[in-house]
Amino acid sequence: MEYVFSDAVKEVLGKRGLKEDDIKAVIDYAEGSNDKITDGAKNIAKKEIGDLTVYAVYAVDGGNAVVESGYAHKMKVLDIVLDSSDAEGWTYAKNGAQVRKGHANLTYMGATRSGPALVEPTSGEAWFEEYLAASALAAAEGLFEAKRA
Amino acid sequence: MDTAELFPPIDLDWQNKSRKRYAAAVLGGDADRIPVDPMMLSHSTVACGHTIRDFYEKPKLGAHCLAYIQQLYDLLPVTKYYFAHPWMPELGIRLKFMDYTPPVPENVVVVEPEDVDLLEVPDSEEIKKGFTFTRLTEAYDYIREKLPQMFVPISPCPEPEGSGAGLAGLEQFLMWTITDMDLALKLVRKYTDTAVSGAEALAKRYGMALLTTGSVLANSDIMPPETIDKVAADNLEYLVKSAFTRGAGPQVFYHFCGNHENDYHLFINKIIYSPLTIVHMGYKGREVFPAGELKEAFGDKATIMPSVDTKRFIVPNPRAIYDEAARQIQDGRDSPKGFILGTTCEVPPFSPPGNLLALVRAAKDHGTYGTW
Repeated sequence: MEYVFSDAVKEVLGKRGLKEDDIKAVIDYAEGSNDKITDGAKNIAKKEIGDLTVYAVYAVDGGNAVVESGYAHKMKVLDIVLDSSDAEGWTYAKNGAQVRKGHANLTYMGATRSGPALVEPTSGEAWFEEYLAASALAAAEGLFEAKRA
Repeated sequence: MDTAELFPPIDLDWQNKSRKRYAAAVLGGDADRIPVDPMMLSHSTVACGHTIRDFYEKPKLGAHCLAYIQQLYDLLPVTKYYFAHPWMPELGIRLKFMDYTPPVPENVVVVEPEDVDLLEVPDSEEIKKGFTFTRLTEAYDYIREKLPQMFVPISPCPEPEGSGAGLAGLEQFLMWTITDMDLALKLVRKYTDTAVSGAEALAKRYGMALLTTGSVLANSDIMPPETIDKVAADNLEYLVKSAFTRGAGPQVFYHFCGNHENDYHLFINKIIYSPLTIVHMGYKGREVFPAGELKEAFGDKATIMPSVDTKRFIVPNPRAIYDEAARQIQDGRDSPKGFILGTTCEVPPFSPPGNLLALVRAAKDHGTYGTW
């Protein structure tokens, strides 16, 4: 599979301290295992790499993976704490189940707190979206680190 | 005289202890006791010998009074300076400073239904020129410089539905919720988008912005649950997600003021809980919202903030405050994601200090970790 990173995507990844190889690893894993959510056109996949959970947002176009974005968080994803009946248009490719809006627990530096996520209750899987991970979760991690210092 | 010259330095040993106490309630970890947050605003200026009006008219003075009086009562390690009706002047509302109340709106800007479409939502650059941003940043820049250890930038949007209603006048808005819900929702959304622009501007300036929001007008005494679901619950989700997307957060303080007996359940599955979220609920009917029920509904998702009835704070009876606080603490203190003792709304400006001390006394006697 060939990977396509636009200059804008490369810039975003650079600002977030992510490498193109990290994103490739996430996509490789997702395409090999079907461990991703998809709305039919776009995919979101995640993989733990070191201390980070790294996400790739991408589309598959023939033999190309066109990367739309990548982001990461340090908090570890735990269990689902809330799921609504609202479908978000996403399906978990691994089991075909509909993905819902919900919340999942996250743990970091000994504390466990909740965050809004896309959740699939049958598998217990949860995915945090870019709008949250790129700013609010990153800021929260900083506050956790500062307050526990 | 410069404002900072009016005050002795903050006791940093106290501040550090209070900071650990607050962090333990929100993040877990060790501390002495549960924290107390009586949602103090202009009581702080009154307690320092100034006026209610000063709190709103002189942001630096208000912010420093808040810091100083938090220390006096052994409350929060941060200033929480904000005021009612934020972001409304940016849509054409004139706020009039008052001697004995927060500023009040003098006009409405939506008279006819068509006026809603004419409201222009300012972007995050335009909003920097307005009343709200300039006053908030006057306070926050001052705190960041003079009291950096107590600095927390807040992006207030305390009642999106109530502020939206205020643009048209309460009666007209309530009528629209019956006759033309889409119009009512459009009005609320215009205000909400303005508040999101404000949150974005503050987040850009300070790197983060604590969102304080909730539902005040939309309560069980004013609206049926199906109306609250639309004008408040759905819109809160939109507000917080939009603000996060534009850099605000990660902290969220939900203040559900008034009676939420028949509608609190609507918010449980709809609001967004960030890892640093506090949920406060005022009343259930005519009584304070029971801590045990707040814990059951929200305790696995957020820090809870049960309350003592604010009305008690103008009565010279600190024992009644102590007893109600003790009951609330005992019923909710083991909430899995933390407990803060609060009051049902802003503590009245002329509250006797003895009443505030009763809250703290109850937190010490019944909220000391390791004793239950």
